[in-house]
Amino acid sequence: MVQKSGTKQLIREIKRHRSVYVLLAVPFVYYIIFKYIPIFNGQIAFKDYMALDGVLGSSWIGFEHFRTFINSYYFVELLRNTLMYSFGKLIFSLPLAIILAIAIYESNRPHLRKIVQTLAYLPHFLSWVIMYGILLALLAPGDGILNDIIKMFGGKPIDFLTNTDAFPWIVILSDAWKEMGWSAIIFIAALMGIDPSLFEAALVEGANSWQRVRYITLPSIRPVILIVVLLRLGTILDAGFNQIFMLYSTPVLSVADIIDTWVYRQGLLEFQFGLATAVGLFKGVIGMFLILGSNRLVKRFGGNPLF
Amino acid sequence: MEQKNKKPKGRFTSVAVRPTAADHSFNLVVDIFLMVLLVIIAVPLWSTITLSFRPNDYIGNNLQGMFLAPWQWSNAAYKALLGNAGFVLAFGNSVKILIGGVVTALLLTIPLAYVLSIHTLPGRRYLNLLIIIPYVFNVGMIPSYLLVTNLGLIDKLAAVFLPGAISTYNCLIMRSFFEGIPNELKESARIDGATEIQVLMLVILPLSKAIIMTIGLFYGVSFWNDFFHAMLYLNNNQLQPLPILLRNILMASGMNEYVEVSAFGDAPIAAIKAASVFMSAIPMVIAYPFIQKYFTKGTLLGSVKG
Amino acid sequence: MKRTCTVCIALVALLSLVSLPLFSQGTADQAKASGPTTIELWYGAAITEAGPPPADWVGFQIIKDKLNIDLKLTALPSNESDQDVKVQAAAAANNLPDLFMVRRDVLTRLVPQGLVAPVDDLYEKMPIRTAKHYDEVSRSHARFNGKTYGLADPGSINKNEGLLIRKDWLDKLGLSVPKTTDELLAVMRAFTFNDPDGNGKHDTYGYGAFQEINNYEAWPGRRLEPIFGAFGVDGTWNMTASNAGLNILKPEFFDAMSLLKQMADEGIIDPNWLAYKKDDFRAAWKQGRFGIMREQNAAFAAQANYAPFDKNFPNGEWIIIDPPTGPKGHASIGPYTAGFRIYAISAKAVKEGKKDKIAALLEWMASDEGYYLLGWGVEGVNYTKDANGIPVAANLPNPDLAFSAPGGQTVTQLRNMVFYNGDIELYARYPKYITATSKKEMSALDVLRVMQTKKWTPAVGSDTLPIPNADLKRFYEQGLSEFITGKRSLTRDNWNKWIDEFKSLGGQDWNDKGVAFAKENNLLN
Repeated sequence: MVQKSGTKQLIREIKRHRSVYVLLAVPFVYYIIFKYIPIFNGQIAFKDYMALDGVLGSSWIGFEHFRTFINSYYFVELLRNTLMYSFGKLIFSLPLAIILAIAIYESNRPHLRKIVQTLAYLPHFLSWVIMYGILLALLAPGDGILNDIIKMFGGKPIDFLTNTDAFPWIVILSDAWKEMGWSAIIFIAALMGIDPSLFEAALVEGANSWQRVRYITLPSIRPVILIVVLLRLGTILDAGFNQIFMLYSTPVLSVADIIDTWVYRQGLLEFQFGLATAVGLFKGVIGMFLILGSNRLVKRFGGNPLF
Repeated sequence: MEQKNKKPKGRFTSVAVRPTAADHSFNLVVDIFLMVLLVIIAVPLWSTITLSFRPNDYIGNNLQGMFLAPWQWSNAAYKALLGNAGFVLAFGNSVKILIGGVVTALLLTIPLAYVLSIHTLPGRRYLNLLIIIPYVFNVGMIPSYLLVTNLGLIDKLAAVFLPGAISTYNCLIMRSFFEGIPNELKESARIDGATEIQVLMLVILPLSKAIIMTIGLFYGVSFWNDFFHAMLYLNNNQLQPLPILLRNILMASGMNEYVEVSAFGDAPIAAIKAASVFMSAIPMVIAYPFIQKYFTKGTLLGSVKG
Repeated sequence: MKRTCTVCIALVALLSLVSLPLFSQGTADQAKASGPTTIELWYGAAITEAGPPPADWVGFQIIKDKLNIDLKLTALPSNESDQDVKVQAAAAANNLPDLFMVRRDVLTRLVPQGLVAPVDDLYEKMPIRTAKHYDEVSRSHARFNGKTYGLADPGSINKNEGLLIRKDWLDKLGLSVPKTTDELLAVMRAFTFNDPDGNGKHDTYGYGAFQEINNYEAWPGRRLEPIFGAFGVDGTWNMTASNAGLNILKPEFFDAMSLLKQMADEGIIDPNWLAYKKDDFRAAWKQGRFGIMREQNAAFAAQANYAPFDKNFPNGEWIIIDPPTGPKGHASIGPYTAGFRIYAISAKAVKEGKKDKIAALLEWMASDEGYYLLGWGVEGVNYTKDANGIPVAANLPNPDLAFSAPGGQTVTQLRNMVFYNGDIELYARYPKYITATSKKEMSALDVLRVMQTKKWTPAVGSDTLPIPNADLKRFYEQGLSEFITGKRSLTRDNWNKWIDEFKSLGGQDWNDKGVAFAKENNLLN
């Protein structure tokens, strides 16, 4: 394409869409103010931030905060734990949420469907404080239900909550338990958009239920699944601060400490906001690479890319 | 539009086909899955409900508590919560935040999501990037705090919802639903001379009630339960919303120097905590059944890309 | 991808430039010269769950009339780390209120930033308050580089905890009160394996605890200090002049760890102790799960707290015992410090000329009028005085407005700013009562007095010593707990290796800094 005609076409395209810019104006201004000014303020990641001097007045210190983080004693372990939890949750919770949505959609027992649909999201509202109480009742080494059962069969009680082997599973499974129904809502909404005539066609062609799910239902909600996965990859280094913060205790720190809990102890509680912001940027860089990379893959395989 | 009135006879269609063995096994698996799930979900919920009704002198553990007979239940926790001096005020503030937040958020998110869904838009790729960058790069508390301070939003209820009034996540989800709406509908409207605003109002919105409500719900729930921004940005005691009150209650036993007095009378702390869970679910519990009405099969014509 | 990245960066740069004019630093609105002075106060609520004083609270008007001050109140969040976050965020934006409560750890960070003002000249402006609230220990509590940067008001009463044991269990099993660690072990075993509650089930344990950690009571924390006290290594620091330093570096610490490890291995400490949080622990002793614990006086003996135990175990009885003596004759309930609650004044407030007004406000609070108004409310409405002049919640026209009832609690939210643990307060706070089921006479004050007679380790000021960085702190806590859970095996060799690693990671440095600080500030005994 010749440059000139490209420009011309661009101008034509812009003209054609001029009413779009009216729609775009307010959200655009919003983004500048509420999203980009904070990013501008994020320069404190490279500064020795002094409150009295402000963002602009504080002195530059380059990558000092990044170095502090990367050279910190537990860095490798923090990164490993963080990735373990976020991928673990992605691998467990997300498919479960999709399966739940499809099961609700496919079930031909209207009452069961209705009850599950109405209750499934509720655990999302149980705060982790409450969840911890429930987990303790289930798993406590002294009198937890699970350990009572183990003892009944003559086994030795297991300290699930303070055991480094069990703890990661507790985190991942309890997250699935709590959030599965909530995450399913968006997939249910997507399923509702499937054109019923597609199913009729499939029936006529003699597809059974499994095949129908495989060839019609799943592909139909694929765009939404992809978007969710891509967006989750973008924040892959957020592994669920609130949950870990509530569940962890000193004996399991080696498998429980994640980047966010470290930042909380090191940065926020010690007035090191430059450091906290630097870690935020570090997480962003990793997330950006993952998003860009996976977006490429999606494009290559003919999916609907994020951008 | 038709599907709404027409009640499908089979699961999906009016075409009657004999179910095969595979269909039966499928149905069985689906039903078992849902039933197992129901139990898994019901247990913690039930445990929380019974906990919230537990009398102060009850000493069994959580498991035994689940089998506490209803006539032994005590509503002291709810009485203490609803009778709390600050409850009405906090509830009112929360409602204001909820309504203001959801309206603002939807007014901002819908146009943006729509614009981003127009495939032919020049520079669309960069616009998308523009909104993804702040999503991925979370610069943390202080940069945002400085902004809110400088905008003079401290002690304004809007400070709670404005920073999150467009959630990139919600916006892109909405975009993908808008993209699912068949292009022919939009194109034919455009050919008839409709502006993009008209296309959005007349074509997109009527077909997107369910997703708009769902996203509105997501926003609503996040604003209703937002503790962090309220804690940071609202100093005036009279502006405190419900999550602050609930958090103060939840954390109360951890902090009180004077453990001997409690504002709860004879309600145990654990019961209050459990009861407060249901407060946080209020908007969801009210709105979700209503939204479910729009979750009828086929209403969102074509998330299916033909 | 390369092009995308370039465009990304260009976009960010462009937008940042566009946003530059919108961004400006500091919006401190200047106080108006005329009219009452506005004073913003961020206070720590006395009863967090009870809500703030109502907008029409009489105090506001009195303060305006008498002192020409427009008092603007903000209740800090109920949870310590939330408080820290709120205060630090405001500090980072140079937007601190005039007067605010702050933890010492946070204050340590604010001082070098120049955000808080010294208060040394304030004491003489408030003679009444200073006499009641601020002694030399208080003044040195918030002293940095020779200047005091916060008014340290009396907080919790010291030595308010005790080692408690189930007397009814001892009697049933025919045991006497344990005096040494060996006897303590024997009693714990009996409590665990000899079915002291007679229900035929193995559902009781010897010792109950949870991890309650702070600056001067490092892992395993407060609830287990009597065990470590038996070896003379209770608390984070040894505060004696002859042997000052981190207790973890003392050889006796290994012995204390061995004892704790033995308790864990034999299963005579409630195995849930590592998983318990405060509420779970408190629920557990009320359920009769264990027979020995360290507990706070009011958490144990105040009416509402003791009631569930009383109902379930009408014959149950806890007694306060002496801490057990270890092999070398050491014994201690734990270290004690002077508990303080710090109120700091922002540098901004001083710049705006509010210092004298703040002094006047605080001094008024310490006057009789302020003391009773903030402590108990309005006489005849929220409280009446009994024959001894002690405020009581009796004979009120509307009992719902009593200072101890939900309706009246909101007006006493600021009482922590006026209380100094005087006798009146203690009597009002800890009344005598008769328990509902067993009809025992109880008083948390009597319990407190007995607890204070037991053997404690003086460690005043040990909570002001330098704190380790977060990684070192984690290494410390994680390592110790792994020795107990068995993830690391507790042998001399392993221990020494671990200690060496701790030292090289900054532990030695922390120890030396702490000792130097303690010497400099005359904190050693």
